[in-house]
Amino acid sequence: MTAAIRVMVVDDHPMWREGVSRDLTAAGYEVVATTGEGRQAVRIAAAARPDVVVLDLHLPDVSGAEVITGLQGELPGVRILMLSASGEQQDVLDAMKAGATGYLLKSAGLPEFLDAVSRTAAGDTVFTPGLAGLVLGEFRRLAVTEPAGPRDDAPKLTERETEVLRLVAKGLSYRQIAERLVLSHRTVQNHVQNTLGKLQLHNRVELTRYAIEKGLYS
Amino acid sequence: MTGGLQAPLWRAIAVYRIAALAYAAVLVVSNAGGYERPMPAWPVLAAMAAWTVLTTYAYADPARRRAPLLVADQLITMAALTASIWIVGRPALEAGTPTLAVAWHVAPVLCWAVARGRRAGIVAALAMGATDLIVRAHFDQAASTGAVLMLLAAIAVGYLVRIADVAQERLERAIELEAATRERERLARDIHDSVLQVLALVKRRGAGLDGEAGNLARLAGEQEAALRSLVVARQSSDTGGDDLDLMALLQTYASPSVTVSGPAGAVALPAHAARELRAAVAAALDNVAQHCEPGTKIYLFVEDEPAQVVVTVRDDGCGIPPARLAQAEAQGRLGVAHSIRGRMADLGGRVKIVSAPGAGTEVEMTVPRAPIS
Repeated sequence: MTAAIRVMVVDDHPMWREGVSRDLTAAGYEVVATTGEGRQAVRIAAAARPDVVVLDLHLPDVSGAEVITGLQGELPGVRILMLSASGEQQDVLDAMKAGATGYLLKSAGLPEFLDAVSRTAAGDTVFTPGLAGLVLGEFRRLAVTEPAGPRDDAPKLTERETEVLRLVAKGLSYRQIAERLVLSHRTVQNHVQNTLGKLQLHNRVELTRYAIEKGLYS
Repeated sequence: MTGGLQAPLWRAIAVYRIAALAYAAVLVVSNAGGYERPMPAWPVLAAMAAWTVLTTYAYADPARRRAPLLVADQLITMAALTASIWIVGRPALEAGTPTLAVAWHVAPVLCWAVARGRRAGIVAALAMGATDLIVRAHFDQAASTGAVLMLLAAIAVGYLVRIADVAQERLERAIELEAATRERERLARDIHDSVLQVLALVKRRGAGLDGEAGNLARLAGEQEAALRSLVVARQSSDTGGDDLDLMALLQTYASPSVTVSGPAGAVALPAHAARELRAAVAAALDNVAQHCEPGTKIYLFVEDEPAQVVVTVRDDGCGIPPARLAQAEAQGRLGVAHSIRGRMADLGGRVKIVSAPGAGTEVEMTVPRAPIS
């Protein structure tokens, strides 16, 4: 590692912010900024230029999804690992659709957390079994609520992707999934990443369409 | 009995009394020529007007709606009615001339019914009706119809008041419940913002330590998980009808060793099917607790498909050799699998159990959305 990976920590709980920063520094990361507010995080992002943002899903001022949209606007392609103390399903899903690249519960242990940060920094998607369940549920919901027709652009998973996500939701590690499906570890990782990519793309298309409709009709 | 829903009834009686007084005054003015003693009719009318004003104010105060005022109201009204004998005179009354207090005399009866309920209203109506009939001194159908109408009004008003009281009580209970719910939500937010985070932090920072400190950290972690599942306990009322939200039911099993995953929204299932599925999941969890080492991780996964609901319980424990599984089942020794299969069969669903030594056990339960009846 020539230059340390730059991390920004956004969490409204001071003890957490400190603890996480200390752990990250001890593990060789450079903590370039810490803040407890979402708006401030978006403001300072361009100056701090983090590679990875460790973001608490629940901030006092704005929703997790809004912070993520703001961060992606300031630093396109920034990797965001989201943490939350409790898995409020809809919030987690909204934040992932907005552009987070990983999700971890705060109750995860330190080794698990550091592993998640390093994978996020490497550009991998960090999924929990809970998140896999949410993403699968979302694809099924979209398939049902957006019926086939001329505007049939509901994102769909390939059979393989569905298979992989189901196994993640059942708690299998990527290594176990690779063994079971006779795939490489890398392929499993790619499948998971693709499912999230499809969901985020669909989300952007929906937002654009919404904006156009608003522009046309108001 | 002084509930907020009664106030409009008291106002309605005051309005009735004023309207009835105006009607009585019009009749006195137009009939005075035929009275035996027309002059004293005016002071009686004035007294009735004064009493109307006085009662309007007196009954507006809940503290005064008691026996003294009600008895005085009844007696003064009866006196005005009885004065008709002397003022209007027997011959005119018998000829059909109305009494001085016509219609106005119903007001105290209504007051009794509102203040003391149906029975008191009936007694007051009988007393007032008898006085009216004696004063009028003729007992044709028209006269008794007036008395019967007054009796029916007393009963109806008394009944209405009871309904108003019950409604008031329910409203108060609903308001209390809503306040309690709000308080619970506020507490949940506070716990989420502070206690949960500190517990998770203690768990994390102490995880690597040995002995007492490590134990404390582990305890903090367990409490964090228990508290979290309490705080995020989802409302199951959003499915409507007789359906239950399966996700809400299964969420209660979440713990440090049990991960629950599934779609973000509610997974609505008929109540019976949802409860049977929960019982089957509980049996599967018990089975893991019995046969696997403590600390075995369990993953509970719910899939909501258009035609069916799939619930998977997977553990990463020791697993069962396939031969032994089949053997045990053939001998009827696999009690848990049996109970799960039975429950699913009743719902028209099916169970798939996959296990291999070292790879844990996976119990997949599938229930069709429209059960075969």
